Amino acid sequence: MRVTLFDYGAGNLHSLAKALTTAPDVEVRVQEDPLRALDTDVLVLPGVGAFGSAAARLAPGREAMRKALDAGLPCLGICLGMQLLFEESDEGAGAGLGYFQGRVTRLAARHVPQIGWNDVEEDAALESAKLASVYYAHSFVCRAMEPREVVGWTTHEGDRFPASVRRGKVLGVQFHPEKSSRVGVRFLQAFLKEVAP
Amino acid sequence: MLSRRLIVCLDVKGGRVVKGVQFEGLRDVGDPVALALRYEEEGADEVTFLDISASAEERETLWDLVQRTAERLFIPLTVGGGVRTVDDVGRALRAGADKVSINSAAVATPELLTGCAERFGAQCVVASIDAKREGDRYRVYTHGGRRPTDLDAVAWAKECVRRGAGEVLLTSIDRDGARTGYDLELTRAVADVVDVPVIASGGAGRAEHVRDALTLGGADAALVAGILHDGLTTVGALKTLLRDSGLPIRSTS
Repeated sequence: MRVTLFDYGAGNLHSLAKALTTAPDVEVRVQEDPLRALDTDVLVLPGVGAFGSAAARLAPGREAMRKALDAGLPCLGICLGMQLLFEESDEGAGAGLGYFQGRVTRLAARHVPQIGWNDVEEDAALESAKLASVYYAHSFVCRAMEPREVVGWTTHEGDRFPASVRRGKVLGVQFHPEKSSRVGVRFLQAFLKEVAP
Repeated sequence: MLSRRLIVCLDVKGGRVVKGVQFEGLRDVGDPVALALRYEEEGADEVTFLDISASAEERETLWDLVQRTAERLFIPLTVGGGVRTVDDVGRALRAGADKVSINSAAVATPELLTGCAERFGAQCVVASIDAKREGDRYRVYTHGGRRPTDLDAVAWAKECVRRGAGEVLLTSIDRDGARTGYDLELTRAVADVVDVPVIASGGAGRAEHVRDALTLGGADAALVAGILHDGLTTVGALKTLLRDSGLPIRSTS
Protein backbone atom coordinates (compact mmCIF):
# COMPACT_ATOMS: atom_id res chain seq x y z
CA MET A 1 0.00 0.00 0.00
CA ARG A 2 1.40 3.40 -1.01
CA VAL A 3 0.96 5.97 1.76
CA THR A 4 1.96 9.50 0.80
CA LEU A 5 2.72 12.32 3.22
CA PHE A 6 2.07 15.73 1.70
CA ASP A 7 5.01 17.79 2.96
CA TYR A 8 4.34 21.51 3.45
CA GLY A 9 7.98 21.93 4.43
CA ALA A 10 7.44 22.79 8.06
CA GLY A 11 8.88 20.06 10.18
CA ASN A 12 9.36 16.61 11.54
CA LEU A 13 7.87 13.81 9.45
CA HIS A 14 10.21 11.06 10.70
CA SER A 15 8.07 9.82 13.59
CA LEU A 16 4.91 9.80 11.49
CA ALA A 17 6.58 7.99 8.58
CA LYS A 18 8.03 5.35 10.89
CA ALA A 19 4.79 4.92 12.81
CA LEU A 20 2.91 4.31 9.53
CA THR A 21 5.45 1.74 8.35
CA THR A 22 4.73 -0.36 11.43
CA ALA A 23 1.55 -1.44 9.57
CA PRO A 24 1.98 -4.39 7.20
CA ASP A 25 2.90 -3.83 3.51
CA VAL A 26 3.12 -0.07 3.77
CA GLU A 27 5.46 1.98 1.61
CA VAL A 28 5.66 5.59 2.83
CA ARG A 29 6.49 8.42 0.42
CA VAL A 30 6.99 12.10 1.08
CA GLN A 31 5.78 14.47 -1.62
CA GLU A 32 6.00 18.27 -1.75
CA ASP A 33 3.85 18.63 -4.89
CA PRO A 34 0.14 18.48 -4.00
CA LEU A 35 -0.83 17.06 -7.41
CA ARG A 36 1.76 14.30 -7.39
CA ALA A 37 0.77 13.49 -3.81
CA LEU A 38 -2.55 12.25 -5.19
CA ASP A 39 -0.91 9.35 -7.02
CA THR A 40 -1.25 7.15 -3.94
CA ASP A 41 -3.45 4.66 -2.13
CA VAL A 42 -3.67 6.70 1.07
CA LEU A 43 -2.99 10.42 1.53
CA VAL A 44 -1.74 11.81 4.84
CA LEU A 45 -1.79 15.52 5.68
CA PRO A 46 0.72 15.84 8.52
CA GLY A 47 0.47 18.10 11.50
CA VAL A 48 3.31 20.58 11.70
CA GLY A 49 3.29 24.16 10.50
CA ALA A 50 1.02 27.18 10.17
CA PHE A 51 -2.30 27.28 8.27
CA GLY A 52 -1.41 30.17 5.95
CA SER A 53 1.83 28.76 4.58
CA ALA A 54 0.39 25.23 4.31
CA ALA A 55 -2.68 26.52 2.45
CA ALA A 56 -0.36 28.34 0.04
CA ARG A 57 1.54 25.10 -0.66
CA LEU A 58 -1.76 23.31 -1.12
CA ALA A 59 -3.31 25.93 -3.43
CA PRO A 60 -2.08 24.61 -6.82
CA GLY A 61 -3.52 21.17 -6.06
CA ARG A 62 -6.47 22.14 -3.89
CA GLU A 63 -9.29 21.43 -6.33
CA ALA A 64 -7.76 18.18 -7.55
CA MET A 65 -7.21 17.01 -3.97
CA ARG A 66 -10.79 17.86 -3.00
CA LYS A 67 -12.08 15.89 -6.01
CA ALA A 68 -9.87 12.92 -5.14
CA LEU A 69 -11.24 12.85 -1.58
CA ASP A 70 -14.82 13.16 -2.86
CA ALA A 71 -14.07 10.25 -5.21
CA GLY A 72 -13.01 8.07 -2.27
CA LEU A 73 -9.25 8.53 -1.80
CA PRO A 74 -8.58 7.57 1.83
CA CYS A 75 -7.07 10.47 3.75
CA LEU A 76 -5.85 11.12 7.27
CA GLY A 77 -5.37 14.72 8.40
CA ILE A 78 -3.39 15.27 11.60
CA CYS A 79 -3.59 18.51 13.66
CA LEU A 80 -2.91 21.21 11.02
CA GLY A 81 -3.71 18.51 8.45
CA MET A 82 -7.18 18.11 9.99
CA GLN A 83 -7.64 21.89 9.90
CA LEU A 84 -6.79 21.89 6.18
CA LEU A 85 -9.76 19.59 5.60
CA PHE A 86 -12.03 22.48 6.73
CA GLU A 87 -12.85 25.72 4.93
CA GLU A 88 -10.90 28.57 6.47
CA SER A 89 -8.83 29.43 9.53
CA ASP A 90 -8.41 32.41 11.82
CA GLU A 91 -4.72 31.49 12.00
CA GLY A 92 -3.93 32.53 8.44
CA ALA A 93 -5.17 33.41 4.99
CA GLY A 94 -5.95 30.94 2.27
CA ALA A 95 -8.47 28.19 1.67
CA GLY A 96 -8.58 24.72 3.11
CA LEU A 97 -10.01 21.79 1.20
CA GLY A 98 -13.54 22.40 2.47
CA TYR A 99 -14.20 18.67 2.69
CA PHE A 100 -15.68 19.33 6.12
CA GLN A 101 -17.88 22.38 6.67
CA GLY A 102 -16.75 24.79 9.33
CA ARG A 103 -14.09 27.25 10.37
CA VAL A 104 -10.86 26.87 12.34
CA THR A 105 -10.72 29.20 15.34
CA ARG A 106 -8.50 29.77 18.35
CA LEU A 107 -9.00 27.66 21.47
CA ALA A 108 -11.21 29.52 23.94
CA ALA A 109 -9.08 28.84 27.02
CA ARG A 110 -6.65 30.66 29.26
CA HIS A 111 -3.76 28.30 28.54
CA VAL A 112 -3.04 28.32 24.81
CA PRO A 113 -1.42 26.41 23.16
CA GLN A 114 -2.82 23.24 24.65
CA ILE A 115 0.27 21.09 25.04
CA GLY A 116 0.02 17.65 26.56
CA TRP A 117 -2.07 14.53 26.94
CA ASN A 118 -5.84 14.76 27.02
CA ASP A 119 -8.75 12.32 26.82
CA VAL A 120 -11.00 11.66 23.85
CA GLU A 121 -14.70 11.43 24.74
CA GLU A 122 -17.35 9.60 22.71
CA ASP A 123 -14.62 8.10 20.53
CA ALA A 124 -16.09 6.51 17.40
CA ALA A 125 -13.34 7.31 14.88
CA LEU A 126 -12.33 3.72 14.15
CA GLU A 127 -13.96 0.39 14.82
CA SER A 128 -10.84 -1.54 15.71
CA ALA A 129 -8.86 0.91 17.86
CA LYS A 130 -10.14 2.78 20.86
CA LEU A 131 -8.45 5.94 22.03
CA ALA A 132 -7.36 6.70 25.56
CA SER A 133 -5.25 9.73 26.45
CA VAL A 134 -3.55 11.23 23.36
CA TYR A 135 -1.02 14.00 22.76
CA TYR A 136 -2.04 17.49 21.66
CA ALA A 137 0.06 20.52 20.66
CA HIS A 138 -2.17 23.19 19.13
CA SER A 139 -3.66 26.66 19.47
CA PHE A 140 -6.52 26.28 16.97
CA VAL A 141 -9.45 23.89 16.67
CA CYS A 142 -12.01 22.95 14.00
CA ARG A 143 -15.58 24.12 14.62
CA ALA A 144 -17.41 21.45 12.62
CA MET A 145 -20.80 22.54 11.27
CA GLU A 146 -22.12 19.00 10.91
CA PRO A 147 -22.28 17.34 14.36
CA ARG A 148 -22.75 13.87 12.87
CA GLU A 149 -19.26 14.07 11.35
CA VAL A 150 -17.65 14.59 14.76
CA VAL A 151 -16.43 11.17 15.96
CA GLY A 152 -14.66 12.24 19.14
CA TRP A 153 -14.51 15.22 21.49
CA THR A 154 -11.91 16.71 23.81
CA THR A 155 -12.25 19.45 26.42
CA HIS A 156 -9.58 21.98 27.35
CA GLU A 157 -10.50 24.40 30.15
CA GLY A 158 -14.15 24.50 29.22
CA ASP A 159 -13.71 24.59 25.45
CA ARG A 160 -15.10 21.34 24.01
CA PHE A 161 -13.87 20.79 20.48
CA PRO A 162 -13.78 17.98 17.89
CA ALA A 163 -10.90 15.58 18.58
CA SER A 164 -11.77 13.76 15.37
CA VAL A 165 -14.06 14.12 12.36
CA ARG A 166 -14.86 11.51 9.77
CA ARG A 167 -16.88 11.11 6.60
CA GLY A 168 -16.30 7.97 4.59
CA LYS A 169 -12.58 7.23 4.33
CA VAL A 170 -11.50 10.73 5.27
CA LEU A 171 -10.51 11.14 8.92
CA GLY A 172 -9.20 14.23 10.64
CA VAL A 173 -7.66 14.14 14.13
CA GLN A 174 -6.60 17.16 16.19
CA PHE A 175 -4.15 15.12 18.29
CA HIS A 176 -0.87 13.58 17.15
CA PRO A 177 -1.20 9.78 16.93
CA GLU A 178 2.51 9.50 16.06
CA LYS A 179 3.31 11.14 19.42
CA SER A 180 0.70 9.27 21.46
CA SER A 181 2.85 6.25 22.22
CA ARG A 182 1.38 2.77 21.78
CA VAL A 183 -2.24 3.98 21.66
CA GLY A 184 -1.44 6.29 18.76
CA VAL A 185 0.63 3.83 16.75
CA ARG A 186 -2.17 1.27 17.04
CA PHE A 187 -4.62 3.93 15.89
CA LEU A 188 -2.57 4.57 12.73
CA GLN A 189 -2.33 0.86 12.00
CA ALA A 190 -6.08 0.46 12.49
CA PHE A 191 -6.84 3.42 10.20
CA LEU A 192 -4.78 1.94 7.37
CA LYS A 193 -6.38 -1.45 7.86
CA GLU A 194 -9.88 0.04 7.82
CA VAL A 195 -9.47 2.18 4.71
CA ALA A 196 -7.04 -0.03 2.76
CA PRO A 197 -8.10 -0.39 -0.87
CA MET B 1 -8.93 16.97 31.23
CA LEU B 2 -5.38 17.88 30.25
CA SER B 3 -2.94 15.68 32.17
CA ARG B 4 0.05 16.95 34.10
CA ARG B 5 3.24 15.73 32.48
CA LEU B 6 6.37 14.00 33.66
CA ILE B 7 9.26 14.83 31.34
CA VAL B 8 12.54 12.92 31.47
CA CYS B 9 15.67 14.91 30.64
CA LEU B 10 18.83 13.32 29.25
CA ASP B 11 22.10 15.25 29.01
CA VAL B 12 23.82 14.32 25.76
CA LYS B 13 27.30 15.05 24.50
CA GLY B 14 28.96 13.67 21.42
CA GLY B 15 25.94 11.46 20.76
CA ARG B 16 26.00 9.75 24.18
CA VAL B 17 24.12 10.28 27.43
CA VAL B 18 26.49 11.65 30.05
CA LYS B 19 26.27 12.44 33.72
CA GLY B 20 28.25 14.96 35.68
CA VAL B 21 30.18 13.48 38.57
CA GLN B 22 31.54 15.89 41.11
CA PHE B 23 35.27 16.55 40.68
CA GLU B 24 35.51 13.81 38.07
CA GLY B 25 33.97 15.40 35.01
CA LEU B 26 31.52 13.49 32.87
CA ARG B 27 30.75 9.81 32.84
CA ASP B 28 29.19 7.95 29.91
CA VAL B 29 25.92 6.38 31.04
CA GLY B 30 24.48 5.01 27.84
CA ASP B 31 22.88 5.23 24.43
CA PRO B 32 20.31 8.06 24.17
CA VAL B 33 17.99 6.14 21.84
CA ALA B 34 17.87 3.09 24.09
CA LEU B 35 17.33 5.21 27.22
CA ALA B 36 14.62 7.33 25.59
CA LEU B 37 12.76 4.21 24.47
CA ARG B 38 13.05 2.71 27.94
CA TYR B 39 11.53 5.82 29.51
CA GLU B 40 8.66 5.81 26.97
CA GLU B 41 8.00 2.20 27.87
CA GLU B 42 7.98 3.10 31.59
CA GLY B 43 5.36 5.80 30.97
CA ALA B 44 7.29 9.06 30.56
CA ASP B 45 5.11 11.67 28.84
CA GLU B 46 7.97 13.33 26.98
CA VAL B 47 11.73 13.14 26.57
CA THR B 48 14.12 16.09 26.45
CA PHE B 49 17.67 15.95 25.13
CA LEU B 50 19.88 18.69 26.52
CA ASP B 51 22.99 18.88 24.38
CA ILE B 52 25.99 19.91 26.46
CA SER B 53 28.55 19.41 23.71
CA ALA B 54 31.48 21.74 24.03
CA SER B 55 32.62 21.67 20.39
CA ALA B 56 31.05 21.96 16.94
CA GLU B 57 32.33 18.46 16.12
CA GLU B 58 30.48 16.98 19.06
CA ARG B 59 27.35 18.93 18.21
CA GLU B 60 27.27 17.53 14.68
CA THR B 61 26.37 14.14 16.16
CA LEU B 62 23.20 15.66 17.67
CA TRP B 63 21.15 15.82 14.46
CA ASP B 64 21.89 12.21 13.60
CA LEU B 65 20.99 11.24 17.15
CA VAL B 66 17.72 13.18 17.01
CA GLN B 67 16.74 11.49 13.75
CA ARG B 68 17.54 7.99 15.02
CA THR B 69 15.51 8.73 18.15
CA ALA B 70 12.53 10.25 16.32
CA GLU B 71 12.26 7.19 14.12
CA ARG B 72 11.63 5.00 17.14
CA LEU B 73 10.26 7.22 19.89
CA PHE B 74 6.51 7.80 19.72
CA ILE B 75 6.22 10.46 22.42
CA PRO B 76 7.28 14.11 22.05
CA LEU B 77 10.98 14.88 21.88
CA THR B 78 12.39 18.28 22.82
CA VAL B 79 15.94 19.27 21.95
CA GLY B 80 17.85 22.06 23.67
CA GLY B 81 21.38 23.33 24.04
CA GLY B 82 23.37 25.40 21.61
CA VAL B 83 20.41 26.49 19.47
CA ARG B 84 21.26 29.98 18.20
CA THR B 85 19.34 30.78 15.02
CA VAL B 86 16.00 30.18 13.31
CA ASP B 87 17.88 27.88 10.95
CA ASP B 88 19.21 25.85 13.91
CA VAL B 89 15.63 25.39 15.08
CA GLY B 90 14.54 24.39 11.58
CA ARG B 91 17.35 21.86 11.44
CA ALA B 92 16.39 20.33 14.79
CA LEU B 93 12.74 20.05 13.71
CA ARG B 94 13.63 18.49 10.36
CA ALA B 95 15.91 16.04 12.15
CA GLY B 96 12.93 14.92 14.20
CA ALA B 97 12.54 17.17 17.25
CA ASP B 98 8.96 18.15 18.08
CA LYS B 99 10.01 21.12 20.17
CA VAL B 100 13.18 23.14 20.60
CA SER B 101 14.21 24.88 23.79
CA ILE B 102 16.08 28.16 23.53
CA ASN B 103 18.01 29.67 26.42
CA SER B 104 21.06 31.95 26.04
CA ALA B 105 20.25 32.81 22.43
CA ALA B 106 16.81 34.14 23.42
CA VAL B 107 18.42 36.49 25.95
CA ALA B 108 20.96 37.69 23.39
CA THR B 109 18.36 37.99 20.59
CA PRO B 110 14.76 37.99 21.87
CA GLU B 111 13.45 38.33 18.28
CA LEU B 112 14.61 34.75 17.76
CA LEU B 113 11.55 33.53 19.70
CA THR B 114 9.22 35.49 17.43
CA GLY B 115 10.97 34.34 14.29
CA CYS B 116 10.69 30.69 15.31
CA ALA B 117 7.05 30.99 16.41
CA GLU B 118 6.05 32.63 13.13
CA ARG B 119 7.84 30.08 11.01
CA PHE B 120 7.20 26.87 12.95
CA GLY B 121 4.36 27.68 15.36
CA ALA B 122 4.42 28.61 19.06
CA GLN B 123 3.78 25.00 20.09
CA CYS B 124 7.37 24.01 19.22
CA VAL B 125 9.12 26.98 20.84
CA VAL B 126 10.18 26.41 24.45
CA ALA B 127 11.73 29.33 26.33
CA SER B 128 14.29 27.85 28.71
CA ILE B 129 15.05 30.09 31.69
CA ASP B 130 17.73 29.44 34.32
CA ALA B 131 17.04 31.51 37.45
CA LYS B 132 18.87 32.10 40.71
CA ARG B 133 17.35 33.58 43.84
CA GLU B 134 18.62 36.96 45.06
CA GLY B 135 16.68 38.13 48.10
CA ASP B 136 13.03 38.02 47.08
CA ARG B 137 13.75 38.20 43.35
CA TYR B 138 15.15 35.84 40.75
CA ARG B 139 17.95 36.72 38.35
CA VAL B 140 18.21 35.11 34.92
CA TYR B 141 21.54 33.43 34.09
CA THR B 142 22.75 32.19 30.72
CA HIS B 143 25.49 29.92 29.41
CA GLY B 144 24.61 26.98 31.59
CA GLY B 145 24.08 29.11 34.67
CA ARG B 146 27.52 30.72 34.56
CA ARG B 147 26.72 34.20 33.26
CA PRO B 148 24.41 36.60 35.15
CA THR B 149 22.11 38.92 33.20
CA ASP B 150 20.17 42.04 34.21
CA LEU B 151 16.86 40.23 33.70
CA ASP B 152 14.27 39.38 36.34
CA ALA B 153 13.05 35.82 35.76
CA VAL B 154 9.33 36.53 36.16
CA ALA B 155 9.41 39.55 33.86
CA TRP B 156 11.59 37.69 31.36
CA ALA B 157 9.17 34.74 31.29
CA LYS B 158 6.32 37.11 30.41
CA GLU B 159 8.46 38.71 27.74
CA CYS B 160 9.32 35.30 26.22
CA VAL B 161 5.64 34.41 25.96
CA ARG B 162 4.76 37.80 24.51
CA ARG B 163 7.42 37.17 21.87
CA GLY B 164 6.02 33.79 20.90
CA ALA B 165 7.21 31.03 23.24
CA GLY B 166 4.59 28.28 23.62
CA GLU B 167 6.06 26.83 26.80
CA VAL B 168 8.41 27.92 29.57
CA LEU B 169 11.03 25.52 30.95
CA LEU B 170 11.99 27.04 34.28
CA THR B 171 15.10 25.79 36.05
CA SER B 172 16.17 26.82 39.54
CA ILE B 173 19.95 27.01 39.56
CA ASP B 174 19.93 26.90 43.38
CA ARG B 175 18.02 23.63 43.44
CA ASP B 176 19.53 21.95 40.38
CA GLY B 177 21.03 18.66 41.52
CA ALA B 178 20.37 19.43 45.20
CA ARG B 179 17.41 17.03 45.45
CA THR B 180 15.77 19.22 48.09
CA GLY B 181 12.65 19.93 46.01
CA TYR B 182 11.73 22.35 43.24
CA ASP B 183 11.75 26.08 43.97
CA LEU B 184 8.00 26.37 44.49
CA GLU B 185 7.93 30.15 44.90
CA LEU B 186 9.77 30.67 41.63
CA THR B 187 7.54 28.19 39.84
CA ARG B 188 4.35 29.72 41.23
CA ALA B 189 5.48 33.27 40.45
CA VAL B 190 5.99 32.40 36.79
CA ALA B 191 2.96 30.11 36.45
CA ASP B 192 0.76 32.91 37.78
CA VAL B 193 1.77 35.40 35.11
CA VAL B 194 2.06 33.39 31.88
CA ASP B 195 -0.73 31.74 29.88
CA VAL B 196 1.38 28.94 28.44
CA PRO B 197 2.43 25.71 30.15
CA VAL B 198 5.26 25.98 32.69
CA ILE B 199 7.69 23.09 33.16
CA ALA B 200 9.33 23.06 36.60
CA SER B 201 12.95 21.92 36.66
CA GLY B 202 15.73 21.51 39.20
CA GLY B 203 15.54 19.93 42.61
CA ALA B 204 13.58 16.68 42.35
CA GLY B 205 14.69 14.32 45.11
CA ARG B 206 11.55 12.28 45.57
CA ALA B 207 8.00 11.88 44.30
CA GLU B 208 6.52 14.37 46.78
CA HIS B 209 8.73 17.10 45.32
CA VAL B 210 7.25 16.46 41.88
CA ARG B 211 3.74 16.55 43.31
CA ASP B 212 4.44 19.85 45.08
CA ALA B 213 5.75 21.43 41.87
CA LEU B 214 2.49 20.52 40.11
CA THR B 215 0.17 21.51 42.97
CA LEU B 216 1.75 24.26 45.11
CA GLY B 217 4.00 25.43 42.26
CA GLY B 218 1.20 25.43 39.70
CA ALA B 219 3.41 23.84 37.02
CA ASP B 220 1.86 21.91 34.12
CA ALA B 221 4.80 19.57 33.90
CA ALA B 222 7.88 18.57 35.86
CA LEU B 223 11.28 17.76 34.47
CA VAL B 224 13.07 14.87 36.16
CA ALA B 225 16.55 13.55 35.50
CA GLY B 226 19.03 12.39 38.14
CA ILE B 227 16.71 10.50 40.47
CA LEU B 228 15.56 8.35 37.55
CA HIS B 229 18.97 7.84 35.98
CA ASP B 230 20.42 6.88 39.38
CA GLY B 231 17.64 4.38 39.95
CA LEU B 232 16.33 6.09 43.10
CA THR B 233 12.80 5.88 41.74
CA THR B 234 10.94 5.03 38.55
CA VAL B 235 8.55 6.83 36.23
CA GLY B 236 5.86 4.38 37.33
CA ALA B 237 6.40 5.05 41.03
CA LEU B 238 6.36 8.82 40.49
CA LYS B 239 3.17 8.68 38.46
CA THR B 240 1.45 6.44 40.99
CA LEU B 241 2.03 8.96 43.76
CA LEU B 242 0.90 11.84 41.53
CA ARG B 243 -2.27 9.98 40.58
CA ASP B 244 -2.97 9.03 44.21
CA SER B 245 -2.65 12.73 45.07
CA GLY B 246 -5.61 13.42 42.80
CA LEU B 247 -3.68 14.90 39.86
CA PRO B 248 -4.76 14.06 36.30
CA ILE B 249 -1.98 11.75 35.09
CA ARG B 250 -1.79 9.73 31.89
CA SER B 251 -2.16 6.03 32.49
CA THR B 252 -0.05 3.65 30.43
CA SER B 253 -1.26 0.35 31.78
